[in-house]
Parts: sequence; C-alpha cells; structure tokens
Amino acid sequence: MEKRLIKVTINGKLRELFVKPNDLLLNVLRNDLNLMGTKYGCGIGECGACTVLLDGQTALACLILAVTVDGQEITTIEGMGDPAQLHPLQESFIEHGAVQCGFCTPGMLLAGEALLKENPNPNEEEIREYLRGNLCRCTGYAAIVKAIKSEAKCQSADPGTLSE
Amino acid sequence: MKTNTKILASEFEYLECPTLAEALNCLSKYNGKAKILAGGTDLLIKMKSGLLQCQYLIFVKKIEALNYLISDKKTLRIGPMISLRSIEKNEQVKAYYSALFEAVRSMAATSVKNMATIGGNLCNGSPAADTAPPLLVYGATLKLSSIRGDRIVPVEEFFVGPSQTVLESDELLTEICLPDLGDQIGSSFLKLGRVSADIAKINVAVCLNRTGKSVGNCRIAFGSVAPTPIRIPEAEEILKGQEMSDELIVKAAKAAAGLIKPITDKRSTNSYRQQVSKVILEEGIRSAWQRAGGEL
Amino acid sequence: MDFQVIGKVLPRKDGIAKVCGKEPFASDIVVPHMLYAVTLRSEHAHAEILKIDTSEAESMGAVCITPTEVPDFTYNERTVSIPEKTYCDRKVLPRRVRHVGEAIAAVAAETEELAFRAMQAIKVEYNVLPSVLDPEEAMKPEAESLYDEILLGKQQLKVKHNVACERNIVIGDPEAGFAAADYIVERDYDLPRIYHHQMETKTVVCQPEANGGITVWTTTQTIHNVRQLLGQIFELPLSKINVKKLSIGGSFGSSIQMNSMIPICVALALKARCPVKLVSSREDDIHDHVKFPARIKLKVGVTKDAKIVAADMRVLVDIGAHQINSYPLLGCMSGWYASLYKWQDFRFDGTAVYTNKVPGCAMQGYGNPEVNFAVESHMDVIANECGFDPIEFRLKNYVGIGDEFWGQGPTVKSIIKSCGVEEMLAVGAEKIGWSERQSSQAKTGRYRKGVGIARGFHTSGTGGPKPGEVIDYSSATIKINEDGTVDVLSPVMDLGGGTGEATVKVVAELLKVPYDKVELAIVDTRTTGYDVNTHATRGVYCGCGAALHVAKQVKTKLLEFASRILEENPDDLDLSYEPEEKKTIIHVKRFKQKQISIGEVAKLAQIYSWGTIAVSDSYRQRNCPPCFVAHFIEVEVDTWTGIVKVPRAILLADSGTPINPDMLEGQLIGSLSRGLGYAAYESTENDLETGKLLCGGFITDNKIPTSCEMPLMDNIEVYFAHTYEPTGPFGAKGIGEAALNSVAAAYANAIYNAIGIRFYHTPITPERILQALEGGASVEN
Repeated sequence: MEKRLIKVTINGKLRELFVKPNDLLLNVLRNDLNLMGTKYGCGIGECGACTVLLDGQTALACLILAVTVDGQEITTIEGMGDPAQLHPLQESFIEHGAVQCGFCTPGMLLAGEALLKENPNPNEEEIREYLRGNLCRCTGYAAIVKAIKSEAKCQSADPGTLSE
Repeated sequence: MKTNTKILASEFEYLECPTLAEALNCLSKYNGKAKILAGGTDLLIKMKSGLLQCQYLIFVKKIEALNYLISDKKTLRIGPMISLRSIEKNEQVKAYYSALFEAVRSMAATSVKNMATIGGNLCNGSPAADTAPPLLVYGATLKLSSIRGDRIVPVEEFFVGPSQTVLESDELLTEICLPDLGDQIGSSFLKLGRVSADIAKINVAVCLNRTGKSVGNCRIAFGSVAPTPIRIPEAEEILKGQEMSDELIVKAAKAAAGLIKPITDKRSTNSYRQQVSKVILEEGIRSAWQRAGGEL
Repeated sequence: MDFQVIGKVLPRKDGIAKVCGKEPFASDIVVPHMLYAVTLRSEHAHAEILKIDTSEAESMGAVCITPTEVPDFTYNERTVSIPEKTYCDRKVLPRRVRHVGEAIAAVAAETEELAFRAMQAIKVEYNVLPSVLDPEEAMKPEAESLYDEILLGKQQLKVKHNVACERNIVIGDPEAGFAAADYIVERDYDLPRIYHHQMETKTVVCQPEANGGITVWTTTQTIHNVRQLLGQIFELPLSKINVKKLSIGGSFGSSIQMNSMIPICVALALKARCPVKLVSSREDDIHDHVKFPARIKLKVGVTKDAKIVAADMRVLVDIGAHQINSYPLLGCMSGWYASLYKWQDFRFDGTAVYTNKVPGCAMQGYGNPEVNFAVESHMDVIANECGFDPIEFRLKNYVGIGDEFWGQGPTVKSIIKSCGVEEMLAVGAEKIGWSERQSSQAKTGRYRKGVGIARGFHTSGTGGPKPGEVIDYSSATIKINEDGTVDVLSPVMDLGGGTGEATVKVVAELLKVPYDKVELAIVDTRTTGYDVNTHATRGVYCGCGAALHVAKQVKTKLLEFASRILEENPDDLDLSYEPEEKKTIIHVKRFKQKQISIGEVAKLAQIYSWGTIAVSDSYRQRNCPPCFVAHFIEVEVDTWTGIVKVPRAILLADSGTPINPDMLEGQLIGSLSRGLGYAAYESTENDLETGKLLCGGFITDNKIPTSCEMPLMDNIEVYFAHTYEPTGPFGAKGIGEAALNSVAAAYANAIYNAIGIRFYHTPITPERILQALEGGASVEN
C-alpha cells in the first residue's frame, strides 16, 4: 500500500507524516511520534483508553484511520500539560486520588477537559454520562468524578468569569 | 482466533472523496469492490474482526454537502454525514423530535458519537440500531443516490436483515427526510441495555398525534426483537382514533408484546425481551401522549 | 497516634507522570531494532497438533517458533507455593491445545501488520479431540481426559477423571455437630467465570543482551518470580536475566504468575537474536485468564439460641485447561470459610477439575469472594429461616480477637490481634438505618427498596509463625543521600493501590524525613532483594514491614555515625524533624541544641570515608492478620424490568492504621464497582458446544460497570474502624482484596430484602430477576 502525506497539527505543532491507508491514528501517535500517553485498551471503541481530542472533540484513536485526519488538529495527553506546567484538571486528578494504575487516566483527563469546555459547570449526572465510554477498573469512578466536579467549581468560581 | 484489534491488518486502496459526485463516481467505478467509510465506528470494527474486507475504501465523511440538519418546523432534512453528537445537541431535534433525541442520547460514548454518523448507523443495518425506530415512527424516507440517479425509499423498506439493507453496491445514502408530522404530535424512545451506553437489548419508539382526547395517527417501532427494526401496525391500530386511557395503553402494549418474536442471544433472552417490551412500550406511549399535550 | 506522614493525604509519587501520560507501562517500552510479535491461537477447544507449517510465514520474512523449537519444560506459572506443592502442567508452547485461544505458535516481524499476516499464513494440522466443558461431566469416567500425567514438584502424577487436585479438611466431628443442631440449612451456590478486565493487556518486551542474557519488561505482580522461572525454562543463569519493575495498568490477580506469553516472547527473541515486543490484543487477553468460578454446597447446623455447631462445605472449581494455582486456591478457600465464623466442627471438601476452557487464575480475593458469597448469603438464609437478626447472628458467631485465622489455607495461621468487626457492624447499621428495615412482605409497588449486609475479610500477607506451603518475605534497600534525601529500592510491585506511597511514608515516618525527600528508585531484579509477589493483600503489611525493618537499621547506622561526630553515646541520640528549618536532625535526647542534620552526617561520613549510610535486608512477617470489611448496600429493584439500582452503599474497613486514607477509600470504592460487576453484570462463559467464549473475545459483550452504574458520590460513605495492628508497620494491615469480598453477598441480601427472592448464582441479571418474580422464590434462582 502506498503511503500518503498528511498534514496534521498535533499538540499545537504542524506535522507532515507519511502514513499507510490502514494505519490507525493510535499506532501513528504511539509508534511514529512516540506519544505513548494514548493507550490501546480494546481496539473497538469500547473502553476510551485511546481518547484524543480531534478538532477539540473527543475521538477514539483506535477507530480512526490516520489518513482521514489530514488537515485536522489533534491533542493528546502530552499536549494537555506537562510536568512543569500541569493543566488544572491534571492537578485536580492528583489531588483527589483519581489516579490509581493510571492506564485510563489520559483518556479520562481528555474527556473531562472536553466536557468542561462544552459545559463549564456540569452536575454529577452530566459528568458520569460524559465519562461512560471511558472505562476504569480501579477507582470505581468516584474520585475521577470528584476531580472533574471540583475543577468545574474552581473554574466557575474564578472571579474573572463572574458577571458581578 | 485470527483477529488483532491493535492494528488494521487488511490492505485496501483509500479514496477520499470531498464531493458527492466524486463519491458516486468512485462507487460506480469500483462497484462491488468498494466499501464506504464514514465515522468508522462500525466499519473498522468489522474490518478488524475479519467480518468485512474490501479492495477500495471510499471516505465520505468530509463531504460537506452531506453534513447538515435543516428544520423548517414542518419537516426535517438530515445529511447522513452529520455526527450523532451534532444531532443530539441540535435544539430543534431536542424540542420537536423527542424520539430521535432520546435515541441519540442513549447511544454509545460521547467520543463515539462525535465520530459516528447517522448515515453509518442506518447503513450498518444492525437490528439494534438506535436511530432506526425513531425514523420508522416518523415515517422517514431515505434518498439513495448513484450515478444512475436518485430513489426515495421509506425507511420501513430499507432494512432487509442483519447487516443487510436495500442499498445497491453503487448507492450512497444522501438524505434522511422526516415528513410533516402534523400538529400536536409527541414522540418518545426507550431502551434497555446491560449498562449505560450499551447496545440495546431492546428499544422502542412511539410517535402519535393527539386530537383532543383521542389518538390520531400513531406509529410504534421496536429494535432488537427481529432481524430488522420493525413496526407493529396491529398495536398502532388499537390506539388510532381511540380515546386515550390507561386501559388502552395496556391493551396496545400487551398486543405488541404478543406479536414480537425476539430471540435469545448473548445480550438477553426472548422471554425477557417479550416481557419488558410491554413495559417500555407503555411508558413510551404515555410519554409521547403527554408530549402531544395529552393528559392521563 | 500522632504521626508525621502516616495517615496524611499526600500526592502519589507517580501522579505527575501518570496524568501527563509519561509513566511508562510495559506496552510503552520501545527498544531500538525491536521486532513485533503476535501469537497464533487455537480455534479448537481440544486438539492434538499434528503439524505446523511455518514455511510461508518465514518466506515473508518472519521469525516463527513452534512447540518443537522451544524448551520442553513443564511448569506452573505461579511460583508462590513451595516447589513440592506446585502442580505443573504447562509448556511454553503445547503439542496439544486444551482451550480455544491457547497460543500454539508465535511470529515476530518488523511490523505488527507483517507479523499478523505471517501468523495467518501458518498452517496447522489438528487432530480434533472431544472437549470437556462442564466440570461435573469432566469427572465422569467416560469423559475425555485433558492430561494423563502432570508433575507435582518433580514427581510425576497420574490425573484421574480430570481431577486436577483436591483438598479435604475435617476439623472435629461435623456429624456429631449436626446431630446436636436444632436447624440444618443447606443450599447450593454458583459463581461464574469473569474476566479481570485490567485496562492494560498483558505485555512483554525481551531484549537479548551481548553477554548471552536477557532483559525483560513485562506486566507482572512479581519481577523476581518471572526472573527465576525464566532462568529454569531457558537454563540461563539468574545473573544474566534482568526483569525491570514498571507500573502496571491494573492487574487484579491476572499477573500473579509469570504470564505464559513471557517465555514465548523470550523464545522468539532468542531465536531472532534481537529484541521482541509482544503486546496482547484485548481478544488474546480475554482468552488468557479468568477468575476462578465455583460451585459451592454449604450445609450449616445451628442451635435455637443462634449458635453455629457444625458446617460442611463442598467446593467444585472448574479451573479450565491449566493449573495456575488451584491447589493453594482450594487451601485458601478452606481458610476463608474456616475463618469467617466459628463453625465448631466442620468439613471442607474442595475439588479442582480440568476442562477445555481458559485457565482460571487468581482474581482479587483468590476464592474469597466466591466463599464469601455463599457463606454471607447463607447467614441471611439461616437468620431468615430461624428468626434471628442477621447482624446479631453474625456477631454471635464471628471469628475475632484471640481466635485463630487461616491466612492462606490450613498451613498458614496466626492469632487475631486486632479486629474492628463489632464497631463496623454497629456503625454500618446506624448509618443505613438497620433498625427501620422492613421485610420484603411489607413492600409493594413497582420499585422496591431493600437493604443488605455482608461482612468479610482478607488476609494481610501469607506470613505465619512457621513457614507454610507459601513463600512469604520481602526486601528493601534504603540509602541516605549526602543531602539528607532518601532513596528507597523496593521490589514490591505497586498495582495502583498506593503500596509505593505507603512504603515511602513508612520510611519517612521512621526516619523523620518529609515525604517529598524520600523517593522510590527505578529498580529491577538485579538491584533489589527478593519479594514474593504483590498478592494476598500483602503490599503494605509485608512490603512496608520489610521497609520498616530496614529503615530501623538505617536509623541505627545514622545514629552510630552521628554519635562519632557528636561524640555522644548512640543510645542517647534521637531523630526528629524541624519543620521550620525543613530538616531532619539527630540530637541528644532532651537537649536539642546539640544536633546535626542527617544530610550533614551522610556528607561527613563520605568526607571521612566511613561509607554510605545504606542497608539492604529481607524480612518475613510472622503473622497474617485479617483486614476486616463490612458492606451495607441499598438496592432499588424495578419489578417490571428487573433492573436494579444502588442508591446507597456504606463501605466499612478495618485496615488497622490507614497509611494512605485517600487511597484506602479509593480501594474500597473501586472494589464496590468491581463487586457490583460481579454481582450484577459480569460473566465470561463459554459456548458449551464449541468451547468458544460467548463474548468472542470482545468487551462489547463482556460488560463491566461504567461511571453510570455507580451510586452518586454523596451516597457512598466510607468508614475506617479504629484499630491498631500490633504486628503491622505503624499499626497497619492490608485492604486490597478484602475491599471486594463481601460486596456481592451484600447486594444479593439487599435484593432479598427488597423482593423476597434469594439468588444463589451471580450475576443477578434483570433477566433472572424477572424470571424469578414470575416463577416465585426457588432454590434454583
């Protein structure tokens, strides 16, 4: 199969990549770009471990052909924050004990981030519904939900965003 | 055991079609050898699990002309490449097409809905497709296009069997059209899965018009109880023209439960499906009636 | 007790790396020039392999291995028991396949796609044999045999009627006990096979080294056992095998053993003479391991005054195609049973049977959730039939302080020294409103609520006063750096529950060093002493026990060096932390003015060439204290659809001193989710004709609970009993497995309280509830 050139913005950086038509985005990210935070969990879109943001919306890299994202923008967990400058939601996850084995964590964080962009002050049911495609076998979800809820509160309590 | 869901091992030629005309040309040119890739959430799973192979893969999701939702309050026209998530978030759908809204809301994870299209959900031909019962009760029609021309198929005639539709190998679904449903309509969708966002063990949609205290037109459709999503005309007849009452609802639901012949599979049993069909249909009729402004 | 770091909520050491996606798991390891491997797995449940033709695959440029090209070594992948109690039946690659999905050949190539295509090009000729898929059928004389002979240690052992192993234990005179009973209650329980569903699939990367050795990165709960078993299989000196310690993406028991794919990958790497990476697909993984199912017959004799006088438990475990650890499993099941209540005179008969299914292996609780479901359901059945209050009945008969506890079957026992059972049952009853509980007869309408209680425990480790059938000790190396910071080298795998943080806290507490000045080193089998395994809820009790033991020696050494500098007797010195100066000092007791910081001591020890202040040692805990739990669960049953919601749950734990209270809570809530899965949703069963998994290997039809199946945050209450385990590090015991054990029984008891129907099998699905509501209460449910 012939490789094709695609131009993709990954974590804010424009990349030119040669990919085969049957290359999954998941494997391009992991194997070609060494972005190992995006995980293989089930390969059939049922677990959410490979969640990335595609043009700002959550998508599953295990069910995306890399050729199809030409011209689009992708954020992986590595683009969300880094150890020197954590994203507030990443801090909240650590603070609330939302991390155990850590394998679902990148997907959970990206889903949480997409949710808060869409709905800055979600209630618990809305958070749970949004996360239902991200499976976690360790935590029972409570600490993850708490971490997102707390971050939502922080954001909405930010004086800069209040109208008063 | 010859699958590997970490990769997509099968090889094919990839054809990206930015316009409808190109897509139809490709479909015609590679007639029978090509498959259509939209959101990929069903197709790629089938390819990974070896259930489907193709020589050419035609990517149509980026055809802008097929990505729309136009509502004029009387009718609704849906471009098949619109994502399920966009339908869920559409205010018109939420306000006037409750069954469709509830169906997409009940479906899959947010990420899957961002990727998946309504066209894909229909053309995949699953008996459990959640968007099918609402479209059946709305009396939707589907526009199927090829370079030979267009044809309009009522959604009722679209499904033939599991993974089978009337779509010819050179055809593409190009529009879903919901007709004028008249005044004082109400619709609803209910589903039971094993966990949240699951494939339906059973689902049901109801759409009815209210004329004062009586039911006007009425449609009922179930999914996951037959090889295709199906309507239950006998139960609809029980409701039509009758004054609405709890007894009437029970009667219609009981009749429907007696008519469906679900199977036992890995997701549920025939007797369970039969029993709960009554429960969810009763609830479905009630909520459609109330949405139509009726009282109980 | 007033602690400096123990019991404080502090950020995980690996938290930043994990939230940034930078924590390496085995599946993230990349070695230059590595090949990718895939396995060829059997389509048949039972067949002899007549021929494997790899020529086409090899012509595609792939490296292949078949049963004839790997060491012919029979092993058991779990090497926790002593060798003479270890049953071995497994080969690196078998010449006879015994379950659908068993690996029979493997392929490595430059890309995974090529390896996969090459694997598809391998031709296998099978002689298909009749398969045995029901454990009761398997024991009939006419049933096909899976094995003629296996090994027990090094002894050959004939297998009769597919019975893998048995354990029969009689204490006292059960017949006489039953004769004295006023009531005898007997029931059958059935617990299913379920899949671990750990998020990271099993993985291994093997790099052959220039010295003829190998380096291995893999998903495991025990780096040292992996190393030792690889040494035996490949006849390599242990000094040339190095297994790296990594984070693991969940395990729940699935990697208690040296996973069978590890030697396959090593064999490929040795043949290819280059690094090979083998990552299981999810479907490979589902065909690799499953929780042990159990059919349990339980008979209990009780007197009118609610005193238990006799019990008899018969357990049949369908272990599948291999013994990963069924002999110790049966022993443990006898122990979980023996230690729940004072049965007085009792019997345990356990049988493990081979069938042509995915091999069962440990999964959180190791037989305890199965036994607990039977016993804790039974306690409710008895209470109901005999008119006792379920809580008082339990309190009257439970095994508690001063009683003997079987921590790992009949050979590992110790006396209970801390116990929070009474406190937890009292607090739980109060919180859930037990006294207002109504019987199911009082409930009407579509939605019916019910409240259920179950209690349980797990062992903390497998230590005992005398060595038993199970190996148990751990090791640690602790080093004071020249600036006063501390390196801890621990072989103990942290499966995500926070064992690593607990280790840091224990060391920090003893050495009076702040948490952020103690770090866990990146280690491997070469740089650490032996630790048996992160299993048996032993991470904190045994792992931290060893760290404490070593930290004490480091403290002695520190004080000794300081005494030379301060010219004082070491016995007159003490350690303390000065929060204002943010340093740890050694000072004369009751005279803090004469002091020196530990960093200065370490630095001076270097300048004076006295040496590094470091100690490496091993330690065996001589007890196995139970960590107790209790679950009070409220359910709401929709009697029209059979759908059950859990509006409320109260989770109570006696873990001794909570070292990581936040992670302890996380373990309890996580276990609630897994327990609800076990009780209500999960089942990984086979088609009884073909032996194929009904889910086909995909999680689409192998559901675990999502975020929406759990009670809301405010409706889950967690409570820690106020206990102190005198033998544990700073009073701590374990929690991991205990947290799960009584969830399913509490759920079933709550359903009984809601609708008056007792369920003896899990999962209790809406289908079964509706069927039972139609058919009425019956022992068949």
